Amino acid sequence: MKASLNKTRVLLEVWFAYMSAYRAEIVIWILSGSLPLIMMAVWIGKANTENGTVNGFTPSDFATYFLAAWLTQQLAVAWVSWELDYQIRLGELSAKLLRPFDVMWEHVTQHITERLVRLPFIIIVLGVGIWLVPDTQLTPGILYVLVYTCSVVMAFMIRFLIAYCIGLLTFWFDQATALDELYFVVAAFLTGSFAPLEFYPPIVRAFIEWTPFPYIIYYPIQILIGSVSSADILRILIVQVWWISLFALLRLFLWKHGLRRYGAFGA
Amino acid sequence: MITVRDLQKHYRVHDKEPGFIGSLRSFIHRKMRTVQAVEGVSFNIATGEMVGFLGPNGAGKTTTLKMLAGLLHPTSGYANIAGFTPRERHHNFLKTITLVMGQKQQLIWDLPALDSFRVNQAIYEIPDDEYQQTMREFNEILELDGILKQQVRKLSLGERMKCELAAALLHRPKVLFLDEPTIGLDVNMQVRIREFIAEYNRRFHATVILTSHYMADVTALCQRIIVIDKGKIVFDGNLSLLIEQIAPSKIIRIELAHPVTEVQLGHFGQIHKHDGLHAELQVPRATTSAIAAQLLTELPIADVTIEDPPIEEVIGQVFAKQQITITSPQLEPVNMVTS
Repeated sequence: MKASLNKTRVLLEVWFAYMSAYRAEIVIWILSGSLPLIMMAVWIGKANTENGTVNGFTPSDFATYFLAAWLTQQLAVAWVSWELDYQIRLGELSAKLLRPFDVMWEHVTQHITERLVRLPFIIIVLGVGIWLVPDTQLTPGILYVLVYTCSVVMAFMIRFLIAYCIGLLTFWFDQATALDELYFVVAAFLTGSFAPLEFYPPIVRAFIEWTPFPYIIYYPIQILIGSVSSADILRILIVQVWWISLFALLRLFLWKHGLRRYGAFGA
Repeated sequence: MITVRDLQKHYRVHDKEPGFIGSLRSFIHRKMRTVQAVEGVSFNIATGEMVGFLGPNGAGKTTTLKMLAGLLHPTSGYANIAGFTPRERHHNFLKTITLVMGQKQQLIWDLPALDSFRVNQAIYEIPDDEYQQTMREFNEILELDGILKQQVRKLSLGERMKCELAAALLHRPKVLFLDEPTIGLDVNMQVRIREFIAEYNRRFHATVILTSHYMADVTALCQRIIVIDKGKIVFDGNLSLLIEQIAPSKIIRIELAHPVTEVQLGHFGQIHKHDGLHAELQVPRATTSAIAAQLLTELPIADVTIEDPPIEEVIGQVFAKQQITITSPQLEPVNMVTS
């Protein structure tokens, strides 16, 4: 236990130092994930031209929804598939495999520390967004923020594990990250980054509910803005745990079988 | 410490013709073929032994080391290192071994080496006092002071290699796989690294398998060598035995007091070099002493030295001769459990 805590502490310290060195690059990454902000402008523009609402959403409702969507996307983003693709194809994984330590935890640490470097910039952008659109209230209270924090951590875990599984496919295919590109397109529609899921036809909505996508952005937003009941919150958290368990098992399976195919190229 | 029997590694690779047409063809129909990188390699290595693993590029040296380090899963065969099966990558196995690859690095590029050392200290669960002591010992030989707090990317190749070695050995592994540890380094740095490896072997009684293109590394560190070519072992034994077997001649290097003619020199052996007062003669190994004595009495010799031919030449001959007599020790069979 003490050794595990020490590993966590050292990895966090070291990778925070690393990520801090790349803060300018991280700001560019923050800006590259601005789809919800663009969609916010589009939907607010539409509401202003259609008697002030679209499907019952006022401009401040859109601002609340998409600012929460942007925040959630920023906190749940994962690039680990690219990292794995690079490490597997170029043999960079070899040095990490030699250590008595699951390399996934180093990837997790990298994402956590990167998030810490992102945080000040995220707060600034959120502040500006709330200030620009009158009557925008991101959350009804601190309790919602606490439950949201729990939910967004699990949203990150789902997204991270999906990206991990995609990255591990590099053991079988040369360019598995193409799948991650596909993920971005699909996720834009199915996570709720493009429009609130209430706007989708019922049959599409019913289909989406059976996928992990709404649990990565849409439902954490609903918790933050206080649109769901306590029973719904419990259901959302349980379904998130289910998706995490499923993808964690899939990751273990792909890792175990993929390592047999590892070529350790490059030296 | 290391037991290897009939270890094989085959890869499936696809061939592609260059250019657009080649890409199209490859897109429609992939031509696959099997590369037999390692073909039934067997050997034993005792605890504390240092063995040179030699062979031309693509011979299968690195592939074998990667299988022994647990990075590659063998196609078939048996490997046991300190009681562990490498491909299972048991935590205690990984704490027992290290693999240093001259062209691959484990140090974090944008941070000082000290940060990578801290990560390894935590991961290998090295107590603080042991870590400090190991660092002191490494520092004595490798002179790491002053470079540990610099970003790794700002270090010279030699400095980086010293840090790589230190990082790889921080947990005091008992088995070292060193794949070209001195590649690209200047002569002084090569000597420093060699001294470090020799000292580490003495101090910790570590077992070492070393591959290097610099024969000086091998001759300085290893008495036993394993020569591998086209995935098969073609020689396993004492370095001097290999030289005797493959090179049945010696080189007599002489310094003359007065110039002599080539005809005069030619009586004693095959002339390798003749340049004013310096000459090199190749003579049969069995009659070397007699010829040297004759040279001293019949020619105006100022100085004479007798040497084996350069190891590079000997190894070159091993690869050139396909039908050399292999002197490998008889290996006892083991119970193989293959996946």
